[in-house]
Amino acid sequence: MSKYKKWLAAGAVMLSAGLFAACSSSQSQVKSGYKPSVKLSQTYDNPNKTSSTYNNGTLKVAEFNNSPFAGITDPVLQSNAEDQDMFDPGGNDQLFFVNSKNEIVNGGLANLSLDKKAKTATVTVRNNAKWSNGMPVTAKDVEYAYEVLGNKNSNSQQFSPDMQDIQGMAAYHAGKASSISGITMPKGPKGKVAVLHFTTFAPSLKYSGNSVMWDSVEPYEYEKNVPIAKLSSSNQVRKNPIFTGPYKLSKMVDGESTSWVPNKYYFGKKPQIQHINIQVVSEDDFAASLKSKKFDFPITNGQSSEYPNVKNLSDYTIVGKEGTGYDYFGFNLGHLDTKTQTSVMDPNAKMGNVKLRQAMMYALDQGALVKKFDYGMGWFPNTLISPYFKQYYNSKTPYYKYNMSKAEKLLDQAGYKKHGKWRTQPNGKPLTINFGAMQATSSQTAEYNYYLQQWHKLGLNVQYAGGKPMEMNKFYDTLEKPKQSQMDIFAGAFGVNAEPTPTGIYGADASFNMGHFVTKKNTQLMDNMNNDKAWNNSYRVKQFKDWQTYMAQQAAYVPTSMTMNWTPVNHRVKGYSVASDDNEFWSNLALTASNPK
Amino acid sequence: MWKTILRRVLIMIPELIILSVLVFLMAKAMPGDPFTGQINPKDSLTQIHHLMRINGLYDPWYEQYWHWVVHLFHGDLGTSYEYQEPVTRIIAQRAGNTLWLALLTMILTYVIALPLGIYAGRHEGHLQDTLVRIYTYATMSVPFFVVLVLGSWIFGYGLNWFPTSGSVSPTASGFLPVLLSRLGHMILPAVLGALFATSSITQYLRSGIIDAKHSDYVMTAQSKGVPMKAIYKHHIFRNALLPIAAFAGYSITGLLGGSIFVEQIFSYPGMGLLFLNAINYRDYTVITALVLLYGFLNLMGTLLSDIALSAIDPRVRVK
Repeated sequence: MSKYKKWLAAGAVMLSAGLFAACSSSQSQVKSGYKPSVKLSQTYDNPNKTSSTYNNGTLKVAEFNNSPFAGITDPVLQSNAEDQDMFDPGGNDQLFFVNSKNEIVNGGLANLSLDKKAKTATVTVRNNAKWSNGMPVTAKDVEYAYEVLGNKNSNSQQFSPDMQDIQGMAAYHAGKASSISGITMPKGPKGKVAVLHFTTFAPSLKYSGNSVMWDSVEPYEYEKNVPIAKLSSSNQVRKNPIFTGPYKLSKMVDGESTSWVPNKYYFGKKPQIQHINIQVVSEDDFAASLKSKKFDFPITNGQSSEYPNVKNLSDYTIVGKEGTGYDYFGFNLGHLDTKTQTSVMDPNAKMGNVKLRQAMMYALDQGALVKKFDYGMGWFPNTLISPYFKQYYNSKTPYYKYNMSKAEKLLDQAGYKKHGKWRTQPNGKPLTINFGAMQATSSQTAEYNYYLQQWHKLGLNVQYAGGKPMEMNKFYDTLEKPKQSQMDIFAGAFGVNAEPTPTGIYGADASFNMGHFVTKKNTQLMDNMNNDKAWNNSYRVKQFKDWQTYMAQQAAYVPTSMTMNWTPVNHRVKGYSVASDDNEFWSNLALTASNPK
Repeated sequence: MWKTILRRVLIMIPELIILSVLVFLMAKAMPGDPFTGQINPKDSLTQIHHLMRINGLYDPWYEQYWHWVVHLFHGDLGTSYEYQEPVTRIIAQRAGNTLWLALLTMILTYVIALPLGIYAGRHEGHLQDTLVRIYTYATMSVPFFVVLVLGSWIFGYGLNWFPTSGSVSPTASGFLPVLLSRLGHMILPAVLGALFATSSITQYLRSGIIDAKHSDYVMTAQSKGVPMKAIYKHHIFRNALLPIAAFAGYSITGLLGGSIFVEQIFSYPGMGLLFLNAINYRDYTVITALVLLYGFLNLMGTLLSDIALSAIDPRVRVK
């Protein structure tokens, strides 16, 4: 999750002197920046032939990051995306395969079968599933992942309260039970079947990345003598880890690199490449390292600001797909009730008037901003769901297109009249709005300044909260307070799971709901996405689309930009794909030359 | 002399205790905590509170401090929140990298700076002296990170002469290949670091030699017919080394400090990056351990410098 921290504070690099002119002048640019202008394929089709000679070489992969990786191999205990990347050839001990809609399908380490009536999920591990040391993968390994996640002494940050939908998980997590009663193993711990019994049974269970069911295994026999609280620093996790994926770890240099060789016990397609090295490289060296052909591809996604530097590299093809996260504006509308740990809207909140919020959004030409700074790799979104989720994305939700006169009209209608330079509240009192922003790159600071400029044009006295963009920890420290009045509007960023149910972000008890937006309709729409009726997919899709439109109307959280997830791939690599149903990514890769071309 | 050293060591104890309290309080006073901003759609406040509780972060500061001190005396500096590993183990990993790189840099620095300083001092006002001064002023006026970025870009990426990331090649195995690979990874940052660090030592030495050259005792020795070689060896050089000796202790103990610029630009996992990340992620255990270590090293540096000075200059010893 530290990746989140870094990512939340990260952004584009370039500063353009022409920004303000570009953004504020003409209506002709209103239509720009609403779609990514760069069209990318999800696969790189290399026509060249591979051979065993080439495949005996080494695939060189870069992890662009400014920090050494932590070295936690266990997905249950990992707390950042860098570790996940560095140990990815080991398969991250994933249980299931998915299709292009992220639905769990058969064929992976285990199959899943859901029984709506009995409210059970049966996980059947395949017979030939083995760890990279030759030990069989068992039902106990499925259960042990939950035991490590939910243990009261575990430092795992991956435990989700939604997992308490599994019977007995709440008691186990609280330390009142020594095992999870809702996970049974009908054929014994060494068998291949684990059954999860749920108290509520949501349709999101069909999808990978849901917050209720964990989707990796934990090697019980290998780790059983290590106390769970000490697992993350144990040799089993740090020095001699075992994996279920196509490759096994052959060498690790602390914080710097991992090296991999094929895992002969892998259940699936045999890997073709005999050696893989993944190396941490400074983010600033993204373009330089590719230009000098030091790597075949980065495992991290490229930043939009790097795109102009690598788009013309003749030996690399850029592949990609829509990202799922987004930047957004949030409004402070209430507080957190610390007794119930739920958000409560304040009827008299300064930003409580929806027309005020809408007017502030109409005053910004966000499309032009995105076009300027994301170089065709980003777009100004209309909804809080990325088009990546094709079936759920509502393309008909209206945009907050730049329209200053509409913004002024909305404020006039709502009673925010101009008295001198600034508008006042409907009750005549002065109105000062505090804008919370994180210290960031020069281009993001320029964007913040543009926002202030536009809001000032509208007659709103908006100032930086604290006088300037805040250091990231201070920003979140302020926002995460149960009640705060330092920020009335704030600019943040969200990452989104492969399963896009938004309850974890915008629910009444969601920690991400830092603007404390809670309405009956919002709760209802989100509940509907996972109620019994939602097993009917068209009903579920409709709830998602209705929710997007409702959220856009309410303007409590408004997305400001989304970007493509993209990667340059060297032309000696064959079989590269970022499609979500490419379940055998590492096994599918092959080489067509002895060194990056 | 031994009494002085003992007294200085004893004074270090209360100094370190005060430093540890101050550091502990200041770390806690920073906005945020190890879990600030580390929220994802799957998490809830309840889980964050749970993690804060089991890590004792809701306890009063003095209780947290006391636990920390008790563990410290058992050789346990705590567990990093970010790396989920004992702090001692992380510091040991990083300290090795930093130490070797800094040692090579220091050796190169002195190997370059001492002859340059002596040469310039001896040839005061000549072309050689002017060239050395141009070099020292140039390295002093160019920001360090610019030198590093340019060096990495030209010699690492452009000419492909040196590796640009990490401390050792992932493919190196066996004692000798690993040793050579480590050296290969260190050469470029060490040379660049040394070229940058030579300027002040060269200048100090040059000025020291020029001052000594014009001093009365040198003129006396000259008038007595002592050969210049002997004068340089026994009088000038020894006196000119005094300001450098004053920094020697800091140079040695500073080896573990690490350079954030070098480590960031060359993706070299050392102490500098560790410290920077610990501050950014509010990794309290690592912050307090490192500040305490740096504090200790600084005090030791002062002590070593004083010892070195007194060894070279008998007047200091007498005082």
